[in-house]
Amino acid sequence: MIQVSELHFSTEDGVKVLEDIHLRVDQGELLVIVGPAACGKSLLLGLLGAQIPPQCGQILVHGRNVARLGPGKILALRQRIGVYPQGFVPLPRTVHENVTFKLRALGNYREQAQEKVLYALETTGLIRQQGADAQELSSVDRIRLGISLAICHDPLLLLLDEPFEGLAEDEKAEVARLLSRMHTGHLTLVVATRGPVPPGLKESRRVRLADGMVKGA
Amino acid sequence: MTMQMFLFRELLGAIRTKSATYFSLAGVLLFLFLASVACFFMISPSSVARSTEGQPIEEIHVFLSPRLSSATIDEWFLSWREREDIASLQFQFAQQFDENASGGVFILSPTDPAMAASLASEFRDIEGVTEVIEVPRELAIETPSVSLIIRISLLATLVATIAASLFCFRRGFHELLASFSGEIRMLRLSGIAERVVSTLVVALGVLMGLLSGLFLLAGLYLFHQIALANAEAFSLLGGLLNGLRILSVGMTVLALGTVLGSLAGLLGASFLHGREFDALP
Repeated sequence: MIQVSELHFSTEDGVKVLEDIHLRVDQGELLVIVGPAACGKSLLLGLLGAQIPPQCGQILVHGRNVARLGPGKILALRQRIGVYPQGFVPLPRTVHENVTFKLRALGNYREQAQEKVLYALETTGLIRQQGADAQELSSVDRIRLGISLAICHDPLLLLLDEPFEGLAEDEKAEVARLLSRMHTGHLTLVVATRGPVPPGLKESRRVRLADGMVKGA
Repeated sequence: MTMQMFLFRELLGAIRTKSATYFSLAGVLLFLFLASVACFFMISPSSVARSTEGQPIEEIHVFLSPRLSSATIDEWFLSWREREDIASLQFQFAQQFDENASGGVFILSPTDPAMAASLASEFRDIEGVTEVIEVPRELAIETPSVSLIIRISLLATLVATIAASLFCFRRGFHELLASFSGEIRMLRLSGIAERVVSTLVVALGVLMGLLSGLFLLAGLYLFHQIALANAEAFSLLGGLLNGLRILSVGMTVLALGTVLGSLAGLLGASFLHGREFDALP
């Protein structure tokens, strides 16, 4: 699914953030990347999600080298990846409208989008709050909405950046159970977190990112 | 509804009071700019000349050959001054009208403006008279200066309106994109092409430019109709009487409005490169 080799990344000031990263994620796997704040987890997810172009090294997603893809193919690849960004902020609309906006923007017709919205909200347990103002949701429901947005277009790869951030222990466990439930079939999940990893998360594998290097890959 | 149409509707939906105010102002200022451009075409010298047609002749300029002796000129002056059909008579040198001219000019006012044509015709037949011009006095003397003032005012209006319009467009797009930033981030994160987002912003500018041009086109047509019914009131804007000119000026300002609108849209689209629209924090 994902094959990263010899990946390096430095900031404009020349500070090395990622150094010689080697990582393999198989299809259907739930990989957890644990690391301290500002260790490069979000950057690594950005690179895996083809949001940030790699500077050096190779990233193969579905057998395609991200660095060599043209703009059109990069966009097509992004459309097959679901991303939950760190500190997700919903749009000032209802829960339903948030998900509908993304699906309509991706070219789904109204009826088609409606079906997918309901499926995504059903999966994340937000179906009852579909008419609620998204900006007034509780922290855990906001994260559910973010995950709904990430999965609504049926991606093959789901990248989640700090999905347990700002949650109480029981809420973290709730989100962990949700991710574990979603981790069935073909969907591959990569979760980046500062840790500790909530007990309910049925991860396939865990790696540690520290000092710009992956340990335990 | 296509994806682009959906997104355009969403972008329009993100217009709030502040951005709507700026866009309305920008539209009005663009309209004024286009109206000033249109006025430039309406007060051309040829239109002024045409507008004098049918006006009562209040002055006749009789240009004399430089070969005429001063005694003959004196004689003519004295005899013409006695005529009842001439109210006033002056003599001036032709150089006062044209640097390259020579000889003298009699400037006379007919007692009855209706008789001016026959009077002018009589003078043309006199040997030693080189040219006779019938001049509606007020228009001939005042129109060029009024037209010049109008042109300078229009030029100032052009500069002021386009600058103010660009400022309002800039503020309007800034406000609009700020209230649409969440959607833009989501679009980028979802793999929507950058040009789709930029095109929406440019399309908004084009729409505003087009609307300003269309309003002006309608205004020109309306003034054309009014001018046709009341030609004297529009003597300074003689171009309004010419249907073909109205059409060509209308099409020109419509095209100009569209171009300026798209430029304003491009200005708005340039704000999309700001960090606040980055998909990832």
